[in-house]
Amino acid sequence: MNYAIETNGLSKSYGPVHAVNSVDLRVKPGEIYAFIGLNGAGKTTTIRALLGMIRPSAGSVKVLGQTVGPYGRGPWQRVGHLVESPAAYPELTVRENLEIARRLHGIVDKEASSRVIERMTLASYADRKAGTLSTGNFQRLGLARALLHEPELLILDEPANGLDPAGVVEIRELLVGLTCEKGVTVFMSSHILTEVDRLATRIGIIHQGRLIEELEATQLEEIRAQRLEVKACDLEAAQSALARAGFAAKIGEGRITLNEASAIEAPDKIAAILVQAGTPPTRLAVEQENLEDHFLRLTGEKL
Amino acid sequence: MKTFFAALWAEILKARRSKMLLGTAVGFMILPLAGGLFMLILKDPAQARELGIINAKAQITAMTADWPSFLGMMAMGIGGLGEILFAFITAWVFGREFSDRTVKEWLALPTPRAAVVSAKFVVITIWTLALTLLVFLVGLGIGSMIGIPGGSFVLAWNTFWTVMLTVLLINMLMPVAAFLASLGRGYLLPLAWTILALGLANLVSILGWGDWFPWGVPVLVSGMVKPNADHLGLHSYLMVLLTCVVGLAGTFMWWRSADQTR
Repeated sequence: MNYAIETNGLSKSYGPVHAVNSVDLRVKPGEIYAFIGLNGAGKTTTIRALLGMIRPSAGSVKVLGQTVGPYGRGPWQRVGHLVESPAAYPELTVRENLEIARRLHGIVDKEASSRVIERMTLASYADRKAGTLSTGNFQRLGLARALLHEPELLILDEPANGLDPAGVVEIRELLVGLTCEKGVTVFMSSHILTEVDRLATRIGIIHQGRLIEELEATQLEEIRAQRLEVKACDLEAAQSALARAGFAAKIGEGRITLNEASAIEAPDKIAAILVQAGTPPTRLAVEQENLEDHFLRLTGEKL
Repeated sequence: MKTFFAALWAEILKARRSKMLLGTAVGFMILPLAGGLFMLILKDPAQARELGIINAKAQITAMTADWPSFLGMMAMGIGGLGEILFAFITAWVFGREFSDRTVKEWLALPTPRAAVVSAKFVVITIWTLALTLLVFLVGLGIGSMIGIPGGSFVLAWNTFWTVMLTVLLINMLMPVAAFLASLGRGYLLPLAWTILALGLANLVSILGWGDWFPWGVPVLVSGMVKPNADHLGLHSYLMVLLTCVVGLAGTFMWWRSADQTR
């Protein structure tokens, strides 16, 4: 199969520090692949290796079927990118910054800059110096440069950074639109896990330089841990009643939590036990962990 | 070539929009203005003393107010100040990509990195040549306005080529500054090195070895350290050429191969 991104045993070490360790990535064309991890997990190092900005210590990188590097070689005509925080020449206007990118990409169409300015709703800032832009508009300028040449593959590091809630939604819709309508592949890292949850078709979790889990968005639904949460007027009496019935119930944050499958699959039985014990439940709900909970559990940041 | 011209267009736009262009022009203009002031004083030192422009111990009166002195002063100034000012320009052209964190925007592009580096060197050359021509022409204008004696076309022409040779040699040293700006990812390293190199150039020139030290050669050509200027020979120019080649190779290799983590 032809992958949009393919890495084999990708590793990058800085002295004794293994920033990225044997990462095998496979991103299919048309996917929105979210790459998530804690600070220093190796997300940006991986992205830089994908773009040929750093040389891997071991392994190989293929982007759109072409081997990346050495000496900056790659299919960059077909790739748009935003690495870490966006950068622009502060004394140049938004339009001039994009004009530089247009020429360096060899785009003949002189309207390309104007089109992307409109698309990223930067028209009212087009002739303003980049150094005077707000964080959100600076981010839009970075995204505009990534989209300027209508690439087949977008590699975006934290694309929603600095955007207001409306901007976050706008970028989400833009990326979904590009994927659905034009078949663009998106590889993005993000800290906003609720966004990833809504947007990604596949998720890769990197921790301490290793890709520890890769899953389809549909798979995530299946593997997310469930728990039964119970509220009652007398939590301790309720916990005792459940313990007598053989359930390991934990009290915390003003509620009882049961993790056993027998409890999650039969909340009516739990309700009956509590009613019979004289401590009827005031709330009984099966809760499912979200991506954030799953991520934190997986990376050991939350037990 | 198309990619090179795209990169060159970008570099020229950045230079045009920067405050550095005006700043370096103003900085370099000190030379003809200071030279003109000296000539004005030397034309009538007694009046200058009366007006309080110079005091009784001023050494300036050892010179004479004529075109050979004025143009000699200009050439020496371009040799000395040029080494620092041109290094500032080079440090800015290369170093700003790191301080503005824009370097990453140049790396994953259809435009080869070698074209980007070449465009930067071409802009530095155009910039420094334009500054030199401007300063030289302003100098001629100021000298004419003051009405100093002893001028001739041959003198001006010979000084012009001395200045051009000096500027060419200084430009050949700039790849080292570019390499240091890239290696140090900013302005500090090339500027620190240039100041150190200029100090060393003066020291080795006084010791009589300036003709072997690349940063001493332009200073000698400009006539700044006259007693040893006669020692200049092919070996001096080869040392500068070697420095140029090493600087170019280092800069190109660094941009092609070094890990870019900013």
